[in-house]
This record gives sequence, structure tokens and C-alpha cells, in this order.
Amino acid sequence: MAIYYFTNAGEPCTPFEVTGEDLMKKGMAIKATVPDGIESWRLSYDTSAKAVVVYAEGQDEAGALAQKQTDADAQAVKDKEKSDADTAASEAE
Amino acid sequence: MSNLSKLFGGGSTIDPRKEGLPLFGMWGGSSDMNTQMQFRVFDSNFRVTSSPWAAVSSTTTNYRFGILADGSHAYNMKDHGTDFHSNLTTESYSSWTNWIKSLYQVDQYPHCFYYTASRDGFVTWQSYHQMTSSFEYQVGWTKLNMVLPEGIRPRRTFTNRRFTMREFMGNSDCNTDFYDYSSHLLNTDQAYATGTGYNEKQKMLVMVHSGDESANTSKTIHIFRSSVCLNEGTKRIKDFFDNLISTEYFTDTWTNQCVKDWVVVVGNNGYVGFGLKQSNSKRYGVFDCNVKGTGVAITGASRQWTTWHDFAGSTTTSYGANSGHQYYTKFQTTWDGTWGMIYSPYYYYGVGINAYCMSLENPRKFININQTKSGRANPYIAWGRTGFHGGWSDNCDSEVWQTYAFAFDPKDSDHTIQTRVYKGSTSGDGAMPDNNSLVGGDFDNRTGVCSLDAMRTGLHGGTETTNYPMLMGINWWGNYGAADQSYGGK
Repeated sequence: MAIYYFTNAGEPCTPFEVTGEDLMKKGMAIKATVPDGIESWRLSYDTSAKAVVVYAEGQDEAGALAQKQTDADAQAVKDKEKSDADTAASEAE
Repeated sequence: MSNLSKLFGGGSTIDPRKEGLPLFGMWGGSSDMNTQMQFRVFDSNFRVTSSPWAAVSSTTTNYRFGILADGSHAYNMKDHGTDFHSNLTTESYSSWTNWIKSLYQVDQYPHCFYYTASRDGFVTWQSYHQMTSSFEYQVGWTKLNMVLPEGIRPRRTFTNRRFTMREFMGNSDCNTDFYDYSSHLLNTDQAYATGTGYNEKQKMLVMVHSGDESANTSKTIHIFRSSVCLNEGTKRIKDFFDNLISTEYFTDTWTNQCVKDWVVVVGNNGYVGFGLKQSNSKRYGVFDCNVKGTGVAITGASRQWTTWHDFAGSTTTSYGANSGHQYYTKFQTTWDGTWGMIYSPYYYYGVGINAYCMSLENPRKFININQTKSGRANPYIAWGRTGFHGGWSDNCDSEVWQTYAFAFDPKDSDHTIQTRVYKGSTSGDGAMPDNNSLVGGDFDNRTGVCSLDAMRTGLHGGTETTNYPMLMGINWWGNYGAADQSYGGK
């Protein structure tokens, strides 16, 4: 486990103590413990639950990237469906 | 010629290179890019300046946006792609179609990697098919990092490789000037120019030579001061070197994963910042390049201010020039030329940002800038008088467009005090709070990290359905806004 500092929006900010503690004093960071070996892009801090969230937990980096691509592809399908529906609705007006 | 001399010279004539406050282009399209698209140009106040144009099509074969006869070279949808909002985690040839939103797209030079966009609102895509043979792709890293007066972007493109400087014209690959400056060097131990910066106010040129164009750590740094400005319109590169008033050098050993990443920021006070992407992080060091005398201070240790500084923000897998010369570390300045930014992506091939922002009056004053997105990239460009914005391109369906914008104090150059950064919010009450608090923050020199916040702009993406807007650089907006309230002052 390691210390990581997140922004108040829950985004990764810094792993460095000097920088992080200074931001904490200014009310600009949240200190949390994160699992080792996880790239920071997969980390976020849920400010409501007050807990660290790991994207694609249990996966390695390659698995997380694959999951990200799967999610993006699914979103693209949803986007297309929404766009087509909106266009059809617009044309029907 | 006399007219040119007057235009580029001093006196009361306004420098013809000077532009009004920055404009930016905004591309909005539906998710499949086949049915609706729109392009608009805005000023720094987010007021539209061009006639917005749009196109509607119901077939994948109509890709010419024919209403304005866009000069696209593409011939099918594989070029313009269907996935502008790619996560940018791969670098295969086909994925280049996604990279028009990458942070690599724009730097301080007016031309962009994949397109040109005029202030009149016309955007024209470059052909991807020859991109890998282009100047920017292969040798964009040889361009000089320019510190220029207020409102001016580089209008002459100088490059430096080996012992030779050349001049090019924007996106053209044709040389227009050439000069072998080796006779002016005091030390030729390292033969590969790998990072060059120029300060127009000081007429000061600083260049790094390395032992190869890969990862060699041996360095020779030359510092030239001339009585002739390199950018003066009637002058040639040779004129700068023929009129040198001082030449000094120092040697050192610098860690670098790829020498093509070096950015050289020549400050107005003679201190020079050298920065680059290093692994997933970055490094930045400052050296006193003021005149010391012949044969004096010829080691790095005798000129370095404090030590090298590793990036203090969050990092993840991301790529620099060691993964491909086109990923070289970028440099930009604010419109007023008071702050600079050495930057590269936070995430893989072009998402988010990891940057050092430094005072161009005094490069010893610098902080770390962080934005840790892992999808929906957009490039960053100069915004307003003393700021930058960009980076956000999430879905604007039923949502206004946001940016990660931030601004500095143009008078703030004291490295012994904190750096103030002005930011915004995703709500009006957040941007203009019911209290007396600063919206932004004060950050310690060297170790302070400013994480950028998204903020609303009031602009919709351009269509009434799914769309992921793209921020685009504009080649030239001239003095647009200089005669009205958009300029930002009297």
C-alpha cells in the first residue's frame, strides 16, 4: 500500500509527500492509501463514500486498457443510437 | 525592402506579427460524423467571430462538407474516422485518425499537425497518407523554442540539427535559408543539436548539443548573443552569427531518455530553463546563462541554479520522443509572452497534461501543472492575455462545453514567492463565490502542483445530440479584436 494525494474532485494529484502535505494544508488535496502497482489513471477518490476507487479492479494494466476499450466501444454504440434517434425525431418534426 | 525593414523594425510602427487576444476553433459533430458537423471560431471571450458553417449528410461517401468546398484530401471515412474521441492508447497507423484531438496536435507555432484553420472559420485537413514523411512528424523537434514579445507567435520557422540552422515556411518542406555555424562554436565535442531556444528581447540563442540523436547524456551548451535579431524580416541566419557580441559555452552530463525531447526556454533575465519528458515523468533545470567571460563557468555545475527537478504531479504511462520523434515534448507561451509551458500528455499518446509553467522573465519561477484525464483529449492553446485552456472534449449533448482554463499574473516573476494561478468552476457560484476567497490557488515554487479544474463556458458543441467537440488552433487571426473590447484593455 502507498500514500497518494487526490484533488478535491477525486482525481489523482501527486504521490509526493512534500507537495501533497502542502496542498492538504491549503485544503486542496485529500490523502488516501492506494494499492501498490496500480497506474494512477485507474485511481480515483469517491468523496461521498470517502474511499479509493480502482478502475477495472483485479485486472493488470493490459486488462484495464482492454476494459477501457470495451467501455468506449459500448459508449460509441450508445452515442450512435442516441444520435440516430435524435436525428430521426428532428426529421419527423 | 524598406517597407519590410520598417515593418519588422522598431519605431512607432506596430509589429505586423502582433495578433489580438487568441482565437480558437471549435469543431462539433455527431457521433458518427456522417450526419452533422459544425465549425466555429471564437475569441478569448468565447464570442463567435466567424460565420459558423455546417454540413448535413446522410451518407458516408459525402465527406467534403461541400457547402464551403472544404479542401479535404481524404477519400473515405477511414481518414477522418468515426472515433475522434479515441482513448489514444495505441499508436498504430490507423489510430492516427484519432489523434487530431491529441495534446501533440498544437504547439506555439501557428500551424497545426493535422489541419489548418483560418480565422474566417475554414478548416482544412492535411492528408494522413503522407503524414509520416512530413516535416512536423519527422523533425518538428528541431524547431526553435521562441520567447517573443506580446501578441506574437513564431512567424519564421528556424530549425537546428547537427551544426546547421535552416529556415522553413510553415508547413512547407522547402528550405529558404541555411547556415553552418560550426565556425562560431567554442566546443565541438558533441555534434548533434538537440534543443534550441531563442529570446527575441535579448537576441539570445541557446543551443544544446548531444553525442547523438538518441539518449546520449553528454552535453555542450552554447550561448550566443547578437546585435541582430534572428527574426528580423530582412536578415538571414548568417547575419545573426556575423554580428555576435558574445559566445560562451559549458559542458555537462544530463539524464535524458531521448534528446529530441529537450525544450530550451531562454528567460529575459539570462536564466535558461531546460526541460523534457523523462520516462513517465519530466525534468526541469535552470542554468545561469548570463555573460561570464571567455573561458569562465564552462561546467554545468558552475551555472546551475539549485538542482534538477522531477515533475511533482501525478504520472502514468505516457510517451515522449523515445517512442517516436513526433511525440517530442512541446512548448507554448501565453499571448502576452510572460509565461511559458513545457508539456506532454499525462496519459499514453495525448490525453491530459503534465507540464511545467515558468515565468519567461525569470525561468527560476516555475510550478507543476496537472490534469489527469484518461480519455476525451483536446489540445491546449494560449487563452486570454496570460493563460491557457483546452483539454476537455466530453459529450456536449444536453451539456455546455467546458475547458481546463488557467491564468497567471503577468507581473509575477519573483521565484522566492508562491505562484498564483487563477482558475474557474463548473458553476457560476463556484467561479464567483459568495465569499472573499481566491478561485484558484497559490503554489510553492518548484514543488507546487496545480491540478486543473473543468469549468463551463456557455458554449454548446454545435449539434443537438451526441457530440464531442474539438478545440483547434487558428493559423492567424491578425489584429482581430485589437480595435474592440475583445482586446482586453485600452
